[in-house]
Amino acid sequence: MTDETSSTHNHSRSADVAARIERRWAIVAIAVIALIAVMAAYGGIHRATMPQTQVETIDPTTLHLNGEFIESNLGSAIEPNGSVTVRVVGQQYSFTPQCILVPTDTPITIRATSPDVVHGFLIEGTNINTMLVPGYISDLPVQFNKPGEHLMPCHEFCGVGHEGMWGKVKVIDKFDFLQLSTKERRLNCVD
Amino acid sequence: MLTNKRLILAHFWLAFSVFGLAILLGAWQMLIRSPLHAWISNPEWYYRSLTAHGTVMGYVFPTLVAMGFGYAISETSLNQPLIGRRWAWAGFWLVLIGAVTAMVPVSLGLASVLYTFYPPMIGNPFYYIGVVLVVVGSWIWVALMSINLAAWKRANPDKPVPLAMFANVAGSYLWAWTAVGAALELLLQIIPAAIGLTSTIDAGLSRVFFSWTLHAIVYFWLIPAYIAYYTIVPRAIGGKVYSDAMARIAFILFLVVSMPIGMHHTFADPQVGAGFKFIHSAFTALVAIPTLLTVFTICASVEIAGRLRGGKGPFGWIAALPWDNPIMLAVTFSFIMLGFGGAGGLINMSYQLDATIHNTQWITGHFHLIFGGAIVIMYFAIAYDLWPHLTGRQLTNLRLMRTQLWLWFIGMIVTTFPWHWVGILGMPRRMAYYDYTNAALEPTALSVSISVVGAFILVISAILFFVVLLEGQRAPRENAGPYRFSMAVHPPVTLPAVLNGHALWVTLMVGLTITNYGFPVYELVTRSGMSVPAIYVGGER
Amino acid sequence: MSVRGNSIFRDRWAIRCIALTAVLFVAIAFIGLVLLPLLQPNVKAAGLWDAICSAAGIARKPTNTTPVAPDFKISSVVVTPEMLDTADAQSIGRGATLAHQCAICHGPAGFSRADSPNLSGQYASAIYKQLKDFQSGARSNAIMTPFAAKLTDQDMIDVASYYAYLPRLPEDRTRQVIVAPQIVSNGAPLRNIPPCGSCHGSIDHKVGSPWLQGQPAAYIKAQLQAFARGQRNNDISQQMRNIARQMTPQEIDEAARYYSSLSQSAQLTGR
Repeated sequence: MTDETSSTHNHSRSADVAARIERRWAIVAIAVIALIAVMAAYGGIHRATMPQTQVETIDPTTLHLNGEFIESNLGSAIEPNGSVTVRVVGQQYSFTPQCILVPTDTPITIRATSPDVVHGFLIEGTNINTMLVPGYISDLPVQFNKPGEHLMPCHEFCGVGHEGMWGKVKVIDKFDFLQLSTKERRLNCVD
Repeated sequence: MLTNKRLILAHFWLAFSVFGLAILLGAWQMLIRSPLHAWISNPEWYYRSLTAHGTVMGYVFPTLVAMGFGYAISETSLNQPLIGRRWAWAGFWLVLIGAVTAMVPVSLGLASVLYTFYPPMIGNPFYYIGVVLVVVGSWIWVALMSINLAAWKRANPDKPVPLAMFANVAGSYLWAWTAVGAALELLLQIIPAAIGLTSTIDAGLSRVFFSWTLHAIVYFWLIPAYIAYYTIVPRAIGGKVYSDAMARIAFILFLVVSMPIGMHHTFADPQVGAGFKFIHSAFTALVAIPTLLTVFTICASVEIAGRLRGGKGPFGWIAALPWDNPIMLAVTFSFIMLGFGGAGGLINMSYQLDATIHNTQWITGHFHLIFGGAIVIMYFAIAYDLWPHLTGRQLTNLRLMRTQLWLWFIGMIVTTFPWHWVGILGMPRRMAYYDYTNAALEPTALSVSISVVGAFILVISAILFFVVLLEGQRAPRENAGPYRFSMAVHPPVTLPAVLNGHALWVTLMVGLTITNYGFPVYELVTRSGMSVPAIYVGGER
Repeated sequence: MSVRGNSIFRDRWAIRCIALTAVLFVAIAFIGLVLLPLLQPNVKAAGLWDAICSAAGIARKPTNTTPVAPDFKISSVVVTPEMLDTADAQSIGRGATLAHQCAICHGPAGFSRADSPNLSGQYASAIYKQLKDFQSGARSNAIMTPFAAKLTDQDMIDVASYYAYLPRLPEDRTRQVIVAPQIVSNGAPLRNIPPCGSCHGSIDHKVGSPWLQGQPAAYIKAQLQAFARGQRNNDISQQMRNIARQMTPQEIDEAARYYSSLSQSAQLTGR
């Protein structure tokens, strides 16, 4: 260690320079991180892209007997305020309804849960992405701007049939959707 | 002073052997789910392989590397023979027995639940018991690291703890605490259901416990690589560490903030409140700081090496670096992969961007790039650097070592970049096969095929790695001299006590765990009626 | 070289670090638990305290809505994994006695000669669930409904346990190995058809699903068609209708033929 201690004076001066440069870098690093955190908070408030705002529980073993996830209540429903609620069950190895029908330009709430294991819920080509955990209701606000079809795979390993768990979402014009909803109280696009 | 060479070699050989087996499974998985292969007739084989690959690569391989490297650091940096040699062997055998115990039911198809367990799916109890044994074995190592450091401190009351040992012990404490989450999940929830004491399980609580482990485990994998950045690389390329204090701060930050952030894995889960998700998200942002500090310190240290070797001007030092030195190559590749992987990580941790890629193939691409790429390539570098001291024989085939590292780097880029891309396209993870003929999935077919090529490049690189080590076994005996760690440009003259011990940082780590996990766990535990039926897999046929 | 300071926690650096961490946590927690829930437009909270509780993850039960009532009888069986997984000898014995009345269709040893399902070696949970559904009217069949109507819950458990106790039809090893058609081994992922074996036992078993090997082709075909048309709807939350509906008539034929060809029942019954 002889070379490091050749000159105490030089040593402390160069050490100070080194420390100063290092401190500046540390400040930059912290500023970058602070900026990211502020962006996240801003996005959360102004674009409402926050995770689910409340925790809701439900008994997964009796979903099919009563309550909002009974088979005949699944699918898309028009609410009195004009918004649409879509109720979905994800189970080994399908979503019910298998094809979800939704209107364009309408606030939509997706409510989904699982009666068995953990499933994933992803609508391809959108940012709609959540998990279905047995015992809990996943609730997320979404909106579709363009008509079209999307694939809806389960993206969490849910057993050996996982690779076969693909649903669909069909987005149709708001007007057509309203027309259909006069005939049926719960809509889907299962053929 | 390396006195327990056999102990350390045993850890490394077992680590790399299981790695060699698991990488073959990985390449096979890449192939059979790609458009280059027909659909596998029994998808369960895919998930079985996936469970084995993940368990070995996630729990067994890095744990053994950290343990073996940790014993080497303790002996060489403290210059004292390892205290508790028998216990260390006991820990090794526990890991080995645990790994075998876990892999038997997995290979029989009785526990195809993937390495992330996914309750309420429940597999054969021996799978979980095996994983617990691996963890218990590694906890012996944690205790030994602590005991060895304490003994050295008693003998050297006024000396700063060597950086390598300081970081090594920080890593061991991090592991001890982060493993508690999965241990609680296994011991309180999964194993009782697996052996039939209970038939229900709280899926939401289990996921929160697992998140406690799942994120910080990444930093446990990472710490040996970071120790190599700071204490091996500058010495190996003829430079010095830019700053000893900043290095300590980086490891301290890992210890404190890598733990209370795991819930960013549960952003999309319905059982945790949004407020705590935000808290975890913000703390996750903090964990980027030690990496940013490390990037600066190591680049500066490398620059010092370039200038000491006569490099001039703003970029001349880069040309002057010892590019024929495998360690130089390894650290360069590691940094490039860390850069891309870290950028991807910032996307995962942010609330808004996570929704685009959450649980898609992007995630698998991300952690393969970070762990398989940036970290494992440094494991290779550690082995190359340490081997002559362990075997007493030189590794002379530098060309082959460079080829191996180049192939690993190229293979990792070719594998993971397309992998990220198909994730952005929305391709879901962990499926045994995909219908690429469908118009919506057809755009992923080419990228997935390119990934397969990358996977096989990685297999070739792994084979070369073994060739290098085996060639070394046949080289003539030669004394490699004492094992040294890098010196700092300005070795610490005085060191604040906080930078020389772990007590404060462990306190903060536990404190932040309580603030960030305490209430969510309390709320989940006291939520009544949340136990759901266990779904047994691989049982009755 | 020396190390400054004695006790870590009296060190001024240590106090600063603890204070900094505490301030950081409080600030972040304030943003996450108070500010964000208050400022977010999509939060439906009754007030500040409610918003904080919601952000902290205090669970609530879903608000009561009136669901659309079904226009058919839904299966009321609650399927759990431990359902009927242990049977005692007494129950099996009682089941054997009760099973005499089943023999005319399902065969004296549980092997049918009349295109009724083979029951020998069938999962107890599957038999029990179907009996419950016949009794409740969730599934109807001119012959089975009156039989099931007379059974008590214990009777159903006993009969199910008895048949589960009987040996399955042995696999026919005299013929060459029959390769499963793709619809059986792989399904059709993007039509949401998983491999049959992922629930029906040859790969894994989902509680409540029956064992299919050796079942009469006509029976399998008829059930798949009934599911596809919605004429049979006692599968919980449509789990089987979702699949059958997506199968082509040809795939239904292939699957039915494959399963019926898998055991000696093909010879036993002369099919």
